[in-house]
Amino acid sequence: MRLITLPTLTKEAIGRFGHRVWGWLVIGFSLLLVVAISNFSCFAVRAEPIALAAISLNSVGLINPQGLNSTYTDEHPVLSGSGRFLAFISGRDGRRRLMLYDLQLEQLVDLPWLNRRDAIAEHPSISNNARYIVYVASDSGRPEVELYDRVTQLVQVLTGAYRGWFRNPSISPDGRYIAFESGREGQWDIQMIDRGSNIELDILDQRS
Amino acid sequence: MKLVPVIVAIALVVFFLSSFSYPRLMTLPYDSAGRSLNSPYTEHEPQVAGDYLVFISDRNGSQDVYLYDLVSRKLLDLPGLNSVDSVASHPRVSVDGRYLVFAASHGGDVDIYRYDRQVRRLQNLTASLDAEVRNPTISGDGNKIAFESNANGQWDIVLYDRSDF
Repeated sequence: MRLITLPTLTKEAIGRFGHRVWGWLVIGFSLLLVVAISNFSCFAVRAEPIALAAISLNSVGLINPQGLNSTYTDEHPVLSGSGRFLAFISGRDGRRRLMLYDLQLEQLVDLPWLNRRDAIAEHPSISNNARYIVYVASDSGRPEVELYDRVTQLVQVLTGAYRGWFRNPSISPDGRYIAFESGREGQWDIQMIDRGSNIELDILDQRS
Repeated sequence: MKLVPVIVAIALVVFFLSSFSYPRLMTLPYDSAGRSLNSPYTEHEPQVAGDYLVFISDRNGSQDVYLYDLVSRKLLDLPGLNSVDSVASHPRVSVDGRYLVFAASHGGDVDIYRYDRQVRRLQNLTASLDAEVRNPTISGDGNKIAFESNANGQWDIVLYDRSDF
């Protein structure tokens, strides 16, 4: 009785069908590669960048850095751990966008690839130096908690695999933990995601 | 023995796969009597800062602010902060756990309050502000507080620093 092993089977297959086997193998492998790459690239959601239009100068905010308030809705402010950055949702310029304001330099900070033309972001929360921004976004079929890294400019969906509704995310100042409300136990409860100790923590600069 | 390389292979696979286990959902403590973080009642609006987690719960019959110490795993007392006839919402805490800000309604008026845990003092920051206020936030060191106000006919962001409170 012959020992059936993979090399034996392959040799036999090649012997019978010749070079066609290799051709199909190559095609099959490259298809697998394409599928694998496209699957993993879903972790890097890229959208069209929205050019930062001219900041409305008729700001009528009560306390005044120009550019923080506009004549449209500016809501849900969050201060960073350092106190330097303030993220908020603004309805100015005809688009509801998540914006980041630098209180020290008194200007808005660019957030490339975060805001999308076809989705809305709500309830932002930021880490110590606003490196990590979490928010709820509507770009898939249901509101998902997403994490934006200002250094890599990548968006990561955190709740893609979880059942139920989520809302009100909050990120810890170092960026490692994200707490949010979850309704999957039939009641709003607090859940927390641990991003692990291998991530780059957003540490407060002690010198400033 | 052929068993050794198999065991080594399995160990390597397990080790390799475990590096994919983050981000992971943590198991948070639950107590049916309401003495811990999660309870049979609602928990809303959590915020995690440093070692502390602040949230809203109605487990004691009134919508109150709760502060949980994640290191010692217990709820901390907030004397003088909550009251039975007021509804609290949107709590935030500074990183050292000393200052809490939240919105609370007293007699139909919603104001932004700041609570100092060290001296147990509750301070109304918007008593003289003639507008609706909501959604307060505090910086990590407790020196800046921002919130929304509709004094100008739409929601705007107001920023207070130490000199304002």
